[in-house]
Amino acid sequence: MRAGILRSPSPLPGFGLSFGIMMTVLSIVVLLPIGALLGRGLMIGPADLWDMVNSRRIWSALTLSFRAALIASLFNLVFGLLLAWVLVRYRFWGRRFVDAAVDLPFALPTAVAGIALTALYAPNGVFGQALAPFGLQVAYTEVGIWVALVFIGLPFVVRTVQPVIEELEPDLEEVSATLGARRTHTLRRVILPTLTPALLTGFALALARSVGEYGSVIFIAGNIPNLTEIAPLLIVIRLEEYNYDAAAAIGIAMLVVSFAMLLAINAIQVWSRRRIGNV
Amino acid sequence: MNIEIEELAKEFGTTRALHPVSLSIPSGALVALLGPSGSGKTTLLRVLGGLEFPTSGRVLFGGLDATGLSVQDRRAGFVFQSYALFRHMTVFENIAYGLRARPRRERPAEAEIVRRVNRLLELIQLPEIGGRYPNQLSGGQRQRVALARALAIEPRMLLLDEPFGALDAKVRKELRQGLREIHDRTGLTTVFVTHDQEEAMELADLVVIMSMGRIEQVGKPTEIRARPATDFVRDFTAA
Amino acid sequence: MSDIALTRPVPVTTEPPLARYLLIGLAAVFVALFLFAPLVTVFVEALRQGWVGVIDALRLPDAQAAIRMTLTIAAIAVPLNATFGIAAAWAITKFDFRGKAFLITLIDLPFSVSPVVAGLMLVLLFGANSTLGGWLIANDMPIVFAFPGILLATLFVTFPFVAREIIPVMIEQGRTEEEAALTLGASGWRTFFTVTLPNIRWALLYGVLLCNARAMGEFGAVAVVSGKIRGETATMPTMVEMFYNEYLSVAAFTLAAVLAMLALLTLLLKSLLEWRHAELLAATRRH
Repeated sequence: MRAGILRSPSPLPGFGLSFGIMMTVLSIVVLLPIGALLGRGLMIGPADLWDMVNSRRIWSALTLSFRAALIASLFNLVFGLLLAWVLVRYRFWGRRFVDAAVDLPFALPTAVAGIALTALYAPNGVFGQALAPFGLQVAYTEVGIWVALVFIGLPFVVRTVQPVIEELEPDLEEVSATLGARRTHTLRRVILPTLTPALLTGFALALARSVGEYGSVIFIAGNIPNLTEIAPLLIVIRLEEYNYDAAAAIGIAMLVVSFAMLLAINAIQVWSRRRIGNV
Repeated sequence: MNIEIEELAKEFGTTRALHPVSLSIPSGALVALLGPSGSGKTTLLRVLGGLEFPTSGRVLFGGLDATGLSVQDRRAGFVFQSYALFRHMTVFENIAYGLRARPRRERPAEAEIVRRVNRLLELIQLPEIGGRYPNQLSGGQRQRVALARALAIEPRMLLLDEPFGALDAKVRKELRQGLREIHDRTGLTTVFVTHDQEEAMELADLVVIMSMGRIEQVGKPTEIRARPATDFVRDFTAA
Repeated sequence: MSDIALTRPVPVTTEPPLARYLLIGLAAVFVALFLFAPLVTVFVEALRQGWVGVIDALRLPDAQAAIRMTLTIAAIAVPLNATFGIAAAWAITKFDFRGKAFLITLIDLPFSVSPVVAGLMLVLLFGANSTLGGWLIANDMPIVFAFPGILLATLFVTFPFVAREIIPVMIEQGRTEEEAALTLGASGWRTFFTVTLPNIRWALLYGVLLCNARAMGEFGAVAVVSGKIRGETATMPTMVEMFYNEYLSVAAFTLAAVLAMLALLTLLLKSLLEWRHAELLAATRRH
């Protein structure tokens, strides 16, 4: 095996063992399950798969999942950049505290976030009551889904952009100023383009996570078919009805979306590496 | 211990780092592998150390085939270009590493390890620094610690990859002298890689000039200066 | 003073003070509304009936079974993932082999698969409706709606965590220290334990921390494969959902508060690691 897979021999031992463990675990945990889903799809056949996905309820669910993820990720793009900039560039009381808190959505279980947001935005909740006089309802509407996905996706943008801002050379901004550029011009024409690849990567990561998000959304969404029913929930419903083929069909549709986004993330990184030298 | 290199070749994928080269190094010699970057000198040194495996050809140590010998069993003291000191260990622990790594039967008693490490610290003229960590040392001190660590295993030969490469000119001169003294005192067959022709000519008994994976000339510094074998050698040593 | 402040030129690498305060204020409001408010709500709701309610909720047998289940799952899944992560990092960073880039993509894949889809995959592979699942159930080794299924689901969603943190660190540190250990006569295992492991320990701990947080908190994938059987396969997050749906709000938020405390502990340890060992983790953060 060593000679077959290795490009060049190495004096370091343990290739067989480490490669073996890696491939075994990868196969059992990741590859076999994915194979089972795709195999199910092949057994059903493309025509029947299409028929199963092509219903109003499923299209509504898929487009809702994607639309809400897109809106929330765009929101996070703006506020994630703001937070990253403020955390790196400014010194203020509580900065480290805020910096640590940005990772809260990574650490807090999604179900916990889900019931907490629901309690806040429900008509009798603190935010729900505050928004009611303006005729705004968040919980049990699509807006509630946006709010949950903003919570889930925020750290992805901040944590991708932050290290790039940290490594920005001050020379660039200084030279821009010596050439007569105003600060806003420098920010727009010098800083923003440098941050673009990281912003795009963070946006894509947040989007990928949000499209498939389940735990934080189902409590606040209201789950009304065709309106606020997300695609992962529809899979769960089909599974509870023991309708495995229909569940598999939606699952495959979502997997295709995941793969597409994974490719997009890789493409962004290749593109920016070619353009700037690193991500 | 004398080293024989027979028709040694090394390919990385489709690129040839070493065309078949042959070389014999007499026991106790101080040899420089001299050439520009990409000439194959470091590859040759790493093959001797067992860190790279040749595509074809043989290496003999003291007349015995060592081509398939594992790195551990070669007992070649290897000094890396960046020194590769273990950052999380003190200088003392770094030097003792090879002795403590021996199988229990061959491992010296702890008191003996302490004695040997202290002797090596004196040999490199840094008796006071055993308790320090590598990042608390200067570049020259690190180089000497790396040398002491390699000597601790009672090596059969000493292999050094650009041993003075990362140092400034003044320290470089001092350490050159230090290496010469250690070589003369231990009598170890020593091979070092360098791209600096002045360093090679001044320090080595025997200079091996390499270019593009081939050996251009082997000889004493005076011979090479007097009779360069090829145009490449003339240009390179004239610089 | 204000005259001087107005005439003093602003350094060219920052914004005017007013803009700075505005941006900081905006960021603070955003963080307060979107991050702190939900967190505080968890504890407020849990304490709605005072400490008595909290203690009663924690005394519920279903709650205790769920806590035990979650701790057991994490205690098995995290070491398994750490072992996998170390093996994968060693193979990937110490050797050159064909298909390496593709392999790294595969390891990252679970990050972009919906947890529900992950659960679905396991049901299709090991459920009663599949050949393999039918055989396993006939031989009294059920996976879906049982402990092994929850473990596999947890392993899937936490799969890349440890590998991702240590691979960049090991790439940055290169191979020469290991090579040096070998030339000094150390065996492979000795080299690993005395040279490699000390060099990656903080990154490893960091990865283990994140892996543990996710393992304890996973909801979607576990909800699908566990069948949410009370007292048997329910984990803390799935029990939170069941309590919540039964309008046992205090019980739901009490379990949620326990999970939130674990999350806060994770963040605290993570921040300590980042402040103490910023340099060692730099490679990880750049990744």
